[in-house]
Amino acid sequence: MVKDEKIASLADSIVSRFRNAGVEVERSEIVKRLKLLIHEFKVPEGEAVRTITNWLMKEHEVSREQLVEKESALVKIGDINKAGEWVSLKARVVQLWDATSPNVSQVGLIGDETGIVKFVIWVKAGKGEVEEGKSYLFKNVVTDSFGGRLQVNVNRFSEIVEIDEEIQLPPKEIEVVGALVAIQQNSALIQRCSECRRVMTKGICPVHGKVKGYDDLRIKGVLDDGASIYEIILNQDNIKELTGIGLDEAVKIAHETLDRNAVLSELKKALLGRYLKVDGTKGERFLLVKHVEFIREADAKELLEELQEELQ
Amino acid sequence: MTDGIRRREVALRLFAHELSRSTHKIEPAGEREPAYVLTPTGAKVNRVFSVGVLLDKEEVRPDSNLWRLRVSDPTGVFTAFIGRYQPDALESVIEIEPPELIAIVGKVRVFEGLERNFVRVVPENINVVDRTTRDIWVCETARRTLERLKEFGKTEDSKLAMEIYNTDINEYLGIVKQALAAIVEEQIQEITEPPEEEEEEEFEGFEFEEEEWDLSDLLED
Ligand SMILES: [Zn+2]
Repeated sequence: MVKDEKIASLADSIVSRFRNAGVEVERSEIVKRLKLLIHEFKVPEGEAVRTITNWLMKEHEVSREQLVEKESALVKIGDINKAGEWVSLKARVVQLWDATSPNVSQVGLIGDETGIVKFVIWVKAGKGEVEEGKSYLFKNVVTDSFGGRLQVNVNRFSEIVEIDEEIQLPPKEIEVVGALVAIQQNSALIQRCSECRRVMTKGICPVHGKVKGYDDLRIKGVLDDGASIYEIILNQDNIKELTGIGLDEAVKIAHETLDRNAVLSELKKALLGRYLKVDGTKGERFLLVKHVEFIREADAKELLEELQEELQ
Repeated sequence: MTDGIRRREVALRLFAHELSRSTHKIEPAGEREPAYVLTPTGAKVNRVFSVGVLLDKEEVRPDSNLWRLRVSDPTGVFTAFIGRYQPDALESVIEIEPPELIAIVGKVRVFEGLERNFVRVVPENINVVDRTTRDIWVCETARRTLERLKEFGKTEDSKLAMEIYNTDINEYLGIVKQALAAIVEEQIQEITEPPEEEEEEEFEGFEFEEEEWDLSDLLED
């Protein structure tokens, strides 16, 4: 049963925590108490774990410092999968929210390249303030479950140290509408290395040197919405959908004109200065395009009507 | 920028009415920092994206490969200069016969004249576009202009703009309405002559130095 598995894993983490501090505790007793608190009394998991941990500390005369120092392994946010664990994280503050409780000093989201998680700094923790966009080592924080979602809590045994390291965030799905303001030179009909698929320049792969290549069609460009820029990569399917020029057509243009650059000129004429709506995955640098289309006349009309209403 | 990687500058949306009045240079904060021009509504512009009618193109001196373009949107006209350091734009402009609807991406530069400054767009890319693109651009530019007007007087840049241009918010609100009305009526006129004749005359006698055009940062991003 899922419910019992949950209890078992919480019990394991408590047992292992004390074992790391050199203390053997009775697992069956922990399971019994967890079941009572969580199933019978509907106490939140994190709270139940905390209560039992406190009880065990008293029982076995273990200090919290002893417990904390022994563990808090550095983990990735994506690896956090249960409440009540002491961990350390290197993460960037993605967003700060308004604290709604007087007990909370700061609340928001932190992230690393594997995921994003809510964090809470309790007033009682007495920790310095973190700033949006900065990266920190969050030492000895406790995972918790709140409203069915995992979060991490910063308490008075935790430590927050700013680090001089730009922690990357996971890629995210976004939709952007903007004008295509630039197309890079290494776009259109390119050759890729048949061994590693890297783009070759003048028949040379940066890794494998002079090898056999194959043709591909892609565009590296810049989408600009007047407030931000997005570096986008369009693959041959995207390009065909927008312009009608696919790989076959591109190869044909190159043959007919005896000039591979003619394809780039064609694509620039079809795309530069045009508005595109792009859905894709935003990594640290590039927006990888899943779907792309031109903005249509109907969209323009809608924009116009909105503005006119506003200006009434 | 302190993080080492220089970000590409965003292309701002400005109506020609505002762009052609943007003559105040903001000196770069450091050697590797971009140069900006302050606009009357308080935008700091380095690059623009504009869609309008190419009214005419003219080679400044025969075989100089230096072209002067006049581009109009529903609110006014601005001038662009293309030289040999803008090979992509040069290639496109040779093929385009005015009048034609075009999109321009370019750097905004202010040149000092004898009596006043001139603002010029130095295009990186030019392409022929359709009416829908023009309509979207007008809406987008209206939107961005309204955003700036809303912040006017609140930001440091807009306070400076007020000092320099004595900006009349209602004038710019009127420009936004005028632009929207023009696309509603599907009547983009090719505005004949801008109220800038004096400036043009003055420019003929104004020698700008060749190295002014060797704007190496144009090629960087
Ligand atoms: Zn290779």
